[in-house]
Amino acid sequence: MTPLAVSLDVFGSLDFWIGVGLLAATYGIFTLGLQLNVGFTGVINFGQAGFMAIGAYTMAILVVEAEISFWLALGASILVAMAAGLIIGLPSLRLRADYFAIVTIAFAEIIRYTAVNARELTGGSQGIGGFDGAFLDLSDLMLEGLDSFGLGDQFLLPLLIVAVAVFGLLTVGMYFLQRSPWGRVLRAIREDEDAARALGKNAFAYKLQSISIAAALGAVAGWFLALNLAFISPTQFDPLFTFLGFAVLILGGLANYFGVILGAIILWTLLEGLRLMDLPLDASQTAALRYVLVGLVLIGLMAFRPQGMLGKRQEMVLGD
Amino acid sequence: MTEQAVPGEPDRAPEPAGDVDGEAILAVRDVAKHFGGIHAVDGASFEVRRGSITALIGPNGAGKTTLFNIVTGFQRGDRGEVIYDGASIFRRPPHVIARRRMVRTFQITKALAAMPVIDNMTLAAPDQPGEKLTGLIFRAPAARRREKEVHERAHELLDVFGLREKADDYAGTLSGGQRKLLELARALMVEPRLVLLDEPMAGVNPSLGRKLLDHMHTLRDRDGVTFLFIEHDMDVVMAHSDEVIVMAQGATIASGPPEEVRNDRAVIDAYLGASVA
Repeated sequence: MTPLAVSLDVFGSLDFWIGVGLLAATYGIFTLGLQLNVGFTGVINFGQAGFMAIGAYTMAILVVEAEISFWLALGASILVAMAAGLIIGLPSLRLRADYFAIVTIAFAEIIRYTAVNARELTGGSQGIGGFDGAFLDLSDLMLEGLDSFGLGDQFLLPLLIVAVAVFGLLTVGMYFLQRSPWGRVLRAIREDEDAARALGKNAFAYKLQSISIAAALGAVAGWFLALNLAFISPTQFDPLFTFLGFAVLILGGLANYFGVILGAIILWTLLEGLRLMDLPLDASQTAALRYVLVGLVLIGLMAFRPQGMLGKRQEMVLGD
Repeated sequence: MTEQAVPGEPDRAPEPAGDVDGEAILAVRDVAKHFGGIHAVDGASFEVRRGSITALIGPNGAGKTTLFNIVTGFQRGDRGEVIYDGASIFRRPPHVIARRRMVRTFQITKALAAMPVIDNMTLAAPDQPGEKLTGLIFRAPAARRREKEVHERAHELLDVFGLREKADDYAGTLSGGQRKLLELARALMVEPRLVLLDEPMAGVNPSLGRKLLDHMHTLRDRDGVTFLFIEHDMDVVMAHSDEVIVMAQGATIASGPPEEVRNDRAVIDAYLGASVA
């Protein structure tokens, strides 16, 4: 191979697209919650990775330590994440949006450090695995079916199918929720909380609901992250991932759930493509280059299409 | 769940009889509010007669807007009492007060700019079960029915206020005067018994202002809505109000019919800057 050749072979492989699809679906679900908070309620949530961690760890710990059924553990993890949303929101949602944002990032870090240090429960930085037996049974069943299409050896394909289906359902669900009278109140709060209160809306209660639903979406994203790797450890819940969620949000456009799908696919194609492309660089250079490129894409977007791909420019301009 | 507007938040029992005569829809008694050493409102007391158009006037800094904020729950008063429709609303949160059909507008118009005009209107309607997640799931047909009613009512009101063609535009694209009209129309979606307007005429061109005042009279005469409004334009105050309440330095210093208040010594002093004892 010549030193300067760049191979694009990676984009031709099914493995690559299954990987990208899984990450896009996982972080897409994650970002649906951010869209609800930031795009539709005007609440800045920098702690989504914390809710994701709560979802993933609750599920894993309940299955591995408490030996509860995997499916029950999924439901329980949602409830725990929603409760965490309420606990964070109750004392701090009355703060101005920017102060609340700081509280959420601190919360997410508390969760991550707890995961590092509560070794008995979480395995510390070694992480925790062995929670996905029940899912693998389902996965094997699906692989048998897929075998007739010649896809029986695509080990992660069943998870991708489930993740994409869940992502799609949740996106449509959130879309309809937003078009309801409930969603209308949220948008009014985003525009002007006092105006909403003067019209008889309990803004605080709506913001609490918004944050707990986002927490639930974060928890669902946590399941898929955990199942994808068959293993979870604290580094997967670094604040960086919340900001990747924001990158998806900005790429796709604020206040549009379908923008989240588009943004997630573009971001993860870029990130994974650059990681796996055969570049004439060493690994650390490639790793750095990925984020340089994401930054460039965001800068370009801000310059030429600040409302994102599916956002409405008028709403953005009138918003303030 | 009942059909009531405020589930779980029952109205308080009426105050003992004699506190308010049946004529007054709103009674403010010795309300005070200070910010550090500044006494923004300091012993304000007045009543607003049911079905009246009452003006609240006073020099800049008299505490009119702060008093509005206390009455509507946006600020907590330090002491005093506010009786509305027979029950205390003092220190209750704004949304609870609004659900009892007292609605306010703001000095700086709060149009929900990035929402269409029609959504501004339908948002304000009370008793929409679809505004609750549980209602959305368990009372979906009722929510749809209500939504239809609300849209009809919103379009009627937009017709009245000459905003029909703007229904699908973003509220942020309206002119300043149109926003004031929208804010009043939106307040009426709440089906209010008492409307508090904070400087409704400020920044509105005379012909739109005229329209706004006409609407106020129509709503009072036809639907019995009571209005309390802060206004600086004395011609408007004298020509359009039944009662005038005058504030200076945080206290109410006079009240009565416009002609009477106009000749009140204390009022003249307050406006001309003579010392008020």
